[in-house]
Amino acid sequence: MKKILNAAIRFFLYLVLIAPLLLFGVYAFSERWFFPDVLPSTWSTAPFLRLFSDPKTVGGLLTSIGIALVVSLFSLIVAFPAARTLGLRRFPGRQFAWLLFFLPTVVPPLAVGMGMNILFLRLDLAGSFVGVILSHLVPTLPYTIFTLSGLFANYDENYEYQAIVLGASKRRTFFNVTLRLVFPGLIVAGLFAFLISWSQYLLTLLIGGGKVLTLPMLLFSAVSGGNPSTIAALSLLFIAPPVLVIALTARQLNQHGNAIKEQY
Amino acid sequence: MRKLIALLILSVFALSACTSIVQTQIVSSESFDINNWDSIVAAANGQTVNWYIWGGSESINSFVDNFYGEALKDRYNITLNRVPVADTVDAVNQVLSEKQAGKDPGAVDLIWINGENFATLKQADLLYRDWANKLPNSQYVNWDNPAINRDFGTPVDFQESPWSSAQFQFIYDSARMQPEELPRSYAQLKNWAIKNPGRFTYIAPGPGAFQGTRFVKGALFEISGGADQWATFDQTTWDKWSPELWAYFNEIKPYLWRQGETYPKDENELHSLFANKEVDFSITQAIVGAGALVEQGLVPQTSKAFVFEDYMIGDFNYVGIPSNAPNKAAALVLANLILEPEFQAAQILPENGFGLGFGIDINQVTDTASTTLLADASKKLGDAATSPSDLAKSLVGDSAAQYQSLIEEGWRQYVLLNSK
Repeated sequence: MKKILNAAIRFFLYLVLIAPLLLFGVYAFSERWFFPDVLPSTWSTAPFLRLFSDPKTVGGLLTSIGIALVVSLFSLIVAFPAARTLGLRRFPGRQFAWLLFFLPTVVPPLAVGMGMNILFLRLDLAGSFVGVILSHLVPTLPYTIFTLSGLFANYDENYEYQAIVLGASKRRTFFNVTLRLVFPGLIVAGLFAFLISWSQYLLTLLIGGGKVLTLPMLLFSAVSGGNPSTIAALSLLFIAPPVLVIALTARQLNQHGNAIKEQY
Repeated sequence: MRKLIALLILSVFALSACTSIVQTQIVSSESFDINNWDSIVAAANGQTVNWYIWGGSESINSFVDNFYGEALKDRYNITLNRVPVADTVDAVNQVLSEKQAGKDPGAVDLIWINGENFATLKQADLLYRDWANKLPNSQYVNWDNPAINRDFGTPVDFQESPWSSAQFQFIYDSARMQPEELPRSYAQLKNWAIKNPGRFTYIAPGPGAFQGTRFVKGALFEISGGADQWATFDQTTWDKWSPELWAYFNEIKPYLWRQGETYPKDENELHSLFANKEVDFSITQAIVGAGALVEQGLVPQTSKAFVFEDYMIGDFNYVGIPSNAPNKAAALVLANLILEPEFQAAQILPENGFGLGFGIDINQVTDTASTTLLADASKKLGDAATSPSDLAKSLVGDSAAQYQSLIEEGWRQYVLLNSK
């Protein structure tokens, strides 16, 4: 009995998760789908063909991927030393540093974005890829720092000392010991950064000033037009890369997780 | 939300304007004489024009890319960079922020604009001045028409150039109703709504939903017996007629979709209610009537447009050039290209996907080939459109701008929030 109940609850939860996606799938391949038809009267691949024949969509997709990848990388590079110190050391002003790093998640993005826009315009960074990437670092850093510092809180520095005692150089210690130990955490933190950068609309709009066109901007303007097939097709395109990235890294994570377990 | 951004930027802008000395203006390097068209075309050669344009309609996007983009490249060696924005206010915000940061040249060359967005930029003195009448094709524009030389009551002063026109119309489904069953006035609409409870609704009037405001204004015109008296603002006229206006909307309220407790917030929501057979009428501004919507698959294929006998408000929309536009010459060439009779003829045809009306006055076109082209296009609007003679017969201009907010606030207070 309990088993059946469990299965039912599980099925229901899956349904709630997947139903909107299924609906998107149907909408994306439909032409006219009005109440009371249960299924679209005409099926069509036209919405997708239109998307892929539009250079702006393809360009937006590539721009989005490029920006999100660079942002994840930078975010990790900046967050790594900060997280290591915050996770491993106790020092005066540590709480204050935490607060500072978390400020961007508390302050409304609109306020941050507008101030940044004026500043970037003065620095001649607005409307450029560099500007957009820098602006994306603001909301991504708190998440990467938090994820990585959690990792360092349980990190045993003695592994590094061991390597040094055995004669490994600093570089070798970093790449062969430190990086390997924190690798799964790095992936998770990088994933966070990727997803947050991927879904940025406001900052890209304000800082990019229309010159840097990403997928969310195309999606927002399509939503304002209200054509359900186009919105559905664009949404599916929008969620595909993150899902792909998660699927790929999930496998990586598992492998590394197992490898680490074996080591211990 | 975007309005809020605009307001915030404007207020910051105003503050900083008070405190700081005017930023040093970097004179843009391109040189042309606004009175010499050849010098403009020469300066535009090789430029890229950044056109900020509402990107919500795929068919409009592809019309812009295919028709203007290719012609600009072939004829003038200009590259068109269409920048899609979710709302024109985003482009306005961009220009306001640039001004505040003292950035000249900026990023925006041309904006598809009208109404309050135009008023905002004009008031902040951020528009390029005295150019619209210098375009060669400005000869086709009827600048004497108050519907053109005033944009929602704001004098245009040649700071924007017309692109196309629109007129308020209704849409019905010919599979559900016959033409003779359609209401032809606000009075008849009331009777129809009472007989068919729950089958009618309109777009809630408010900023950004001008179609709803326009619907209410039409009723004001009919109830007061004329549109002309509303062209200039007069508080006593408003005080006299507004109670009757609210009485009309409160009378039909219980017979509306969901008893008038909620209203669709924009055209798309109303189209969707109409397409899903929850209500029997939708609203459009397009000269092709339901044509473009049918092509996009947003409404049933049997949808058609119709108008009342009178008080169907029409207006124009424009393109404007910010004063800090980096490629003014190319923007001028594009604004002129838009007015070419061949593109004006192309923009009204339903299959081309733009679907709004002429920006020029076809009576001012003299060359025979162009006249034939324009006349042919008018004939090919398709049966989803209202006939041009019906449109012309019912056409009235918009009211003075002051009534806009009076109607929107009054409707909220006396109709939406009225629980009786």
